[in-house]
Amino acid sequence: MSKSKSTKQSTREQFIEYAKKGDILVNQCTKCSNIMLETVYYCDKCFSNSFRQVPYTGKGRVVTYTIQSVVPEGFEDINSYAWVIFKLDDCDLNVSGFLPGISTPSDLPLGSKIKVIDFHDKHGLILQKY
Amino acid sequence: MGEKVYVLGAGSTKYGKLNESIIEIALNASKDAIDSAGITPKDVKAGYISNVFGVADKQVHMAPVIMSNLGIPEVPGLTIESACGSGSVMFREAFANVSAGFYDCVLALGVEKVTHTSTVESTTLFSYCSDFFYEGGNGASFPGLFGSMARAYLATYKATEEDLAKVAVKNHENGLLNPKAHVRKKITVEDVLKSPVVASPLKLYDCCPFSDGASAVILCNEEFAKKSGNPYIEVVGSGRGASPAAVQSRKDITTIPSTVEASRQAYKMAKLSPKDIDFVEVHDCFTIAELIDIEDLGFFPKGTAAEAVREGRTRLNSDITVNPSGGLKSKGHPIGATGVGQVVEVFEQFTNKAGDRTVKDAEIAMTHNFGATGASAAVHIFKKIK
Repeated sequence: MSKSKSTKQSTREQFIEYAKKGDILVNQCTKCSNIMLETVYYCDKCFSNSFRQVPYTGKGRVVTYTIQSVVPEGFEDINSYAWVIFKLDDCDLNVSGFLPGISTPSDLPLGSKIKVIDFHDKHGLILQKY
Repeated sequence: MGEKVYVLGAGSTKYGKLNESIIEIALNASKDAIDSAGITPKDVKAGYISNVFGVADKQVHMAPVIMSNLGIPEVPGLTIESACGSGSVMFREAFANVSAGFYDCVLALGVEKVTHTSTVESTTLFSYCSDFFYEGGNGASFPGLFGSMARAYLATYKATEEDLAKVAVKNHENGLLNPKAHVRKKITVEDVLKSPVVASPLKLYDCCPFSDGASAVILCNEEFAKKSGNPYIEVVGSGRGASPAAVQSRKDITTIPSTVEASRQAYKMAKLSPKDIDFVEVHDCFTIAELIDIEDLGFFPKGTAAEAVREGRTRLNSDITVNPSGGLKSKGHPIGATGVGQVVEVFEQFTNKAGDRTVKDAEIAMTHNFGATGASAAVHIFKKIK
């Protein structure tokens, strides 16, 4: 029996494809208009699984973050970075990602402007200050 | 509700760096609990085991191995994982099965062995307990996740890094009185503030240690407890809660919804309120967690925990004694065992075995333990039997 490769992208693959273009792909419930990240399977308000995909510009402001001296495997090669939670400018959703080049809190006041610039297999959602 | 449930016996290894295998650690605590209850293994009708990183010591499917080595291979066992909250979540399942009448006597055992792994390995293993696609996969460690919660809390409320340090100092004071604690060392606020930054704004002394250890208790129904002739305590409240797995998805980063819900259920079942609790063992994996916990459990209004700690209102034999054992911060955090270890502390307090850390005239106590950043949580309330 031959194996056929599915051409349908998973929800995560779709999220990643848009992140690589600097966008955050959001699921908007067609029943109640609730918005959630692309990776959810059911609306957490009305439990519908019918969504409209809406890409939002991956720009936002820093809600909180940390700078770590002990990091998980795969991140040891980075001199210093912040793991950041930021709120998207154009919708009421928080997203988290990896922001290289941050060594002290003075480099990143809360509310700083942040944008998504890429998604790497190794470091996930890549952010940049702007 | 079903039958009343009691804790009849309790045992624990020392927490820290232990040389024995994970199974030997588990068996040592189990034996202590069985002896403490005045029973033999043949009285145990089921075993509930909590563990997270057994694979790090080359043993998963742990329950049958433990039951076999206790001489009761025919007794069913179940291994339960809920990250750092595994112990209390497992305790809840053991409680529910006794309450439902399936068993009259069960063993509830938590165990972990991680100190033989390197800091990077254990940091990485822990990060697998996060919502990895959004957190660990983007470079967040557990200290990092709580560091981000701490930054949000300090920016929102009148709290400082010194206040966080005071939580650590208080728990180390209590841990000094606990012979089984991992880190028995008196520290000052200055020591905490000068310790190396692990995940800003959290420093080394804001963080609990990785520990090996096991804790076990015997749960039974009323008939079994009364027949035993041994001292026992009653489980009067039990609650479970859940939160969005990723911190980013929470409406308020300075609260843990699973704690709020689990405690609401436990208070309701026990017909009690926060003012009735004499002492509480909370999940202080990081100092910020204790501030958030004691607000979410209803002991202090939102945003005022730091002030309460500053005023010494959470110290041993104060308004509400928080973590008389030393908590995760000083007693240690053998992940799968931590929630059970909290119950062992309550048992020892209520059966006159807590020595110098005894909470005076205590009759009602609470345990609170969560998994990861609070994605899962369980809260239990206990009553001393006079």
